[in-house]
Amino acid sequence: MDSSRLLVQAASSLERLMVGSSKDASIKDSNVAQISAAIYYQANVIAKLTESKQFKDKFKSVIFQQILKDFGNYVDAQARVKPKSLHHMYEWKKAGNEKARLFNLRMIDGEGVSFKISYEYKMSKSFVPAPEGRRRHVFANKASVMEAGMPLIIAPRHSERLVFDSNGQTIFMPKGASVVVKRPGGSGVKNQFTLKYSIFFRSQLVNQSIKASGFQRLFNSSLTKAMRLPASIKKVQYSFSPNTIRSMADSAVTQSFGGAMV
Amino acid sequence: MTPDYKLDAMFELRKFLWSKLVLAGIFDDEEYYSDNIAETIIPIIPVQQAPEMNQFLSGKKHIVYDKIGTSYEDNWMVCCEQILFTIYSTDFAEINEIRNFMMDQFRRMDESAKDINRYSGLSNKFKFYSIFIADVSPTEPSQELQGFLSTDVILEVKYSRMLDSAGRFL
Repeated sequence: MDSSRLLVQAASSLERLMVGSSKDASIKDSNVAQISAAIYYQANVIAKLTESKQFKDKFKSVIFQQILKDFGNYVDAQARVKPKSLHHMYEWKKAGNEKARLFNLRMIDGEGVSFKISYEYKMSKSFVPAPEGRRRHVFANKASVMEAGMPLIIAPRHSERLVFDSNGQTIFMPKGASVVVKRPGGSGVKNQFTLKYSIFFRSQLVNQSIKASGFQRLFNSSLTKAMRLPASIKKVQYSFSPNTIRSMADSAVTQSFGGAMV
Repeated sequence: MTPDYKLDAMFELRKFLWSKLVLAGIFDDEEYYSDNIAETIIPIIPVQQAPEMNQFLSGKKHIVYDKIGTSYEDNWMVCCEQILFTIYSTDFAEINEIRNFMMDQFRRMDESAKDINRYSGLSNKFKFYSIFIADVSPTEPSQELQGFLSTDVILEVKYSRMLDSAGRFL
């Protein structure tokens, strides 16, 4: 059971004290009723908040979006400086270009406000650069194949033989013969994206990103607003209605977090 | 007066770094004198110029840099930039020397920023608040430049430009 639930449970035992006329109440004092109401109100705000899917989603989304942006910028800069190592993570001849990325980050939901991040490859959609007049191809799995360093076998599918240019010469392969590309993308690409991914998420870079996301601001300012006691609780009374307090807490959380809470 | 939009905090940082590297005896500026243009080429180059410099810097230790990203804090006057420096050398000890120097110079946040602010070559249009090392990678053989080793140093820099009363650049 999380702490907010425990707090609600503990605070619930104060319900009888909020009702000034209760026979069970050993202390019949307006201050006690008011304090109880205040604690009950704040406990409900916290519980509502931590249980709310909208809040959790917003909280995670703010952090994830910042990480997505910063990680993308980090890989883009690395690709501009080291195109031979990371060109395979972009469309052809566009290493380091944000719009040409062949990778993306994915958020995997965890319990509460926790989540995990993993990456995925995007399919290449641009044509493999080729001399004019040649048949053009799309190497859709460029990123994943080159990153894994998988050897490629290129075999004729629609024609009887392969014809290609190599070092300025046109090569005609024997009928049906295939070509093996041992290191597609060059010898420097294997596991390079994975390495950068691991550097980013194991270094200070990810922490900086989380800090920069402003989640603390989001949380602190909204929570402070929601926790502020309503005027009716601030006013000295001998009796408070738990139902009314619960509904005030609901309403405060909804208002503080942009009205998107349920 | 029209502000000089060519000014850039990254260039100021580069000037400062070069002066300190020369002062520390880590780089000898005479080694980078180009007869063609009759002046010293600072071997801390933006990635966009790296291909043009390849021949001149062949075999010589040098640093390639690029901006990772720029963002503003809640206070829009404070700019936060991450800059990636990739150090190249054919000598493992030289890379370590430059990397260790940069760590010593830039890891102290406010103190590192004060050093730049005190640097006489700094444009009076900038004020630095904080610099720290966001990441340092291990030294490994470079895939880009055959025969070179390389290592990355990422700096996070917070600064602002001098502004007029309307908040525009001076």
